[in-house]
Amino acid sequence: MIAANLPALQVVLPLAGAPICAILGRRWYGWLIATALCWATFAISVLLYVQVAENGPISYMLGNWMAPWGIEYRLDRIGALVLIIVSGIAAVSAPFAFHSVHAEIPEDQHRYFYTAFLLAMTGLLGMAITGDVFNLFVFLEISSLSSYALISLGRDRKALFASFQYLILGTIGATFIVIGIGLIYMMTGTLNMADLAVRLPAVAGNRVVDAGFVFILVGVAIKLAVFPLHLWLPNAYAYAPSVVSAFLAATATKVAAYMMFRFVFTVFGVEFSFDQMQLSWLLVPLALIAAVTGSLVAIFQDDLKRLLAYSSVAQIGYIVLGIGLATQDSVTAAVVHLFNHALMKGALFMALGAVMLRVGSVDINAIRGLGARMPLTMAAIVIGGLSLIGVPATVGFITKWYLVIAALETGWWEIAVIVLFSSLLAIIYVWRIVEAAYFSEPSETGATVTEAPWPMVASTWVLAAACLYFGLDTRLPVGAATEAARALLGGTP
Amino acid sequence: MEITLAHYLVLAAILFTLGVFGIFLNRKNVIIILMSIELILLAVNINLVAFSTHLGDLVGQVFAMFVLTVAAAEAAIGLAILVVYFRNRGTIAVEEINLMKG
Repeated sequence: MIAANLPALQVVLPLAGAPICAILGRRWYGWLIATALCWATFAISVLLYVQVAENGPISYMLGNWMAPWGIEYRLDRIGALVLIIVSGIAAVSAPFAFHSVHAEIPEDQHRYFYTAFLLAMTGLLGMAITGDVFNLFVFLEISSLSSYALISLGRDRKALFASFQYLILGTIGATFIVIGIGLIYMMTGTLNMADLAVRLPAVAGNRVVDAGFVFILVGVAIKLAVFPLHLWLPNAYAYAPSVVSAFLAATATKVAAYMMFRFVFTVFGVEFSFDQMQLSWLLVPLALIAAVTGSLVAIFQDDLKRLLAYSSVAQIGYIVLGIGLATQDSVTAAVVHLFNHALMKGALFMALGAVMLRVGSVDINAIRGLGARMPLTMAAIVIGGLSLIGVPATVGFITKWYLVIAALETGWWEIAVIVLFSSLLAIIYVWRIVEAAYFSEPSETGATVTEAPWPMVASTWVLAAACLYFGLDTRLPVGAATEAARALLGGTP
Repeated sequence: MEITLAHYLVLAAILFTLGVFGIFLNRKNVIIILMSIELILLAVNINLVAFSTHLGDLVGQVFAMFVLTVAAAEAAIGLAILVVYFRNRGTIAVEEINLMKG
C-alpha cells in the first residue's frame, strides 16, 4: 500500500508538514519537524531510486485519474537522481540549520523559516517527479515563492533587494514558461509530457511551436541562470542566510537544469531541438562565455559567498555546455555534474556558514589564518575548492573528463581548450581562499575563534567526503548518468 | 465584425509588450515593476482562456485560475518585501537598488 504510493508521499509529506510546522513549530520543535521530514523524504527518494533502477520508469496516476486528463507522476533515472540530490541536500542541511538559523534569524521567525524551507523542498521535489507540464509550473512557483521569502530573511539589509530582484526575474522566467506551455497546449491540446512528445512532431513545422519552444527555453534559462540571464544569482546567494545559500545553490539551479533536460530532450525531442531549432549554436557559445567570465569575475570578489556564486555561474556553464553538445558523453557529463556540483557547492557554502557563525563575516580578510583555528571547516573548503577546479580524485574531475571527451569527439577541440582554461581560472580563485586561510596572519577577531559546533562540521564533512568518495568510486553517479543520458537521447520519455 | 482568436491573441501580445517595456523602461518606481509583471501574467491569462474557448476544452480556463492565484501570491510577497524595506530605510527609491550592482 505505502510502497505503491511512494511517488505521491515524496511530495505530499513535506507539503503537509509545512503548515504543521507553522502551527506547532515553537522553539526548536520547528527544527525537529523539518529535520524528521527531510530525512523521511530522503529515505523515500532512495527507495524510489532503487525501484526505478530495478524495474524501469515508474508511472503514478494521482487520484487514479488516467494520464492525459489527470496528473501523472512519472519517474525515470534522471528524475530519481534529482530527487536524491534535492532530498539528500535537504537532509544534510537540516542538522546544519540548527545552530546557523539560531545565530542568523530572530527566534520568533524560526518556525516560518522552516515552513518556507519545507515548501521550497516540496516545490523542487515536485518539479523532478511530475509528468505534467502545467503541474511543473505550479511546483516551480511553489519553490520560487518560498525561496524569495527564504532569501529575504538574510541578515544584511541588502537581502531584501536581492530577494526582490530575484522575485522580478524569477517571475518573468516563470511567466515565460507558462506562455510557452500555453502555446504548445494550443497546438496539441494536451499537457502530459509523454503525450506532448508524441503529438509535437506532427505540428513541428508550425511557428507557434517554435515560439512556444523559445519562450520555455528563455524562461528556464532565467531560472537556471544561463550566462546573460544570471544577474539575480550572485546577490541572491550572497545575501541569503547561510543554510539557504547552501540549500538553494545545491538544489534550485539543479532542478532548473533538470527542467531544461526535460523540455529539450523529452518534450520537444532531440530532432526538433537540435536539428530544427539549432539549439547547439545558442547554448554552446553562451555556456563557454559563462564558464570563462564567471570564473574571471569570481577571481575579483572579496565576499566569499559572492565568489562562490560567480563560480556557480561558471559551473552552470558546464552543465549547459553538456546539454548543448547533445552527444552521449556530453549529456552524461551534464547529468553527472548536477550531482557533483550539488555536492561541492553544498559543502563549500556550509563551510562558509560555519565561518559566518564563528567570525561573523565571510569576507576574504575575515578568514585570514583560520586554517589553524578552524582546521576541519577549512579542510572542507579546500576539498570543495579542489573539486571546483577538477583535480583528479574529486568529483569535479569526472565532469571535466567527460566534457573534454565529448568536445574532442565532436571535433571541436577549441571547446576542450576553453574548458581547461576556465579550470585554470578556478585555480586562481581557490588559491586566494587557501592563501588567506593558511598562509596569512590571523586578524584580531580571527585569533580567538574556535571550531564550529559539531553538527555543522559533520554536515559539511558528509558532503566534502562525498566529493572525494564519488570522485574515486564513480559507479553510482556515472552509471545513473549514462543510463539517463541514453534514455534522454533515445527520445523515450 | 466578428471577434476571433486572432483578436484575443493580438490583445494579449499588446499587453505582454506593454508589460515588458514597463519593466525595462521604468527607472523610478519599483511598484510599477510589480504592476508590469501583473500585466504580463494578465496577457498569459487572456491567451489561456482564448485557447481554451478555441479548443472547446475547459482545462485552459482552470489554468487561468491557477495563474491568477500565483500572480496574487507573487504580488503579495513582492509588496511584503517592499513594506519591510520601507520600514528599514524610509524609502523605496530605485537609486537604492543601484547599490546592489557589482
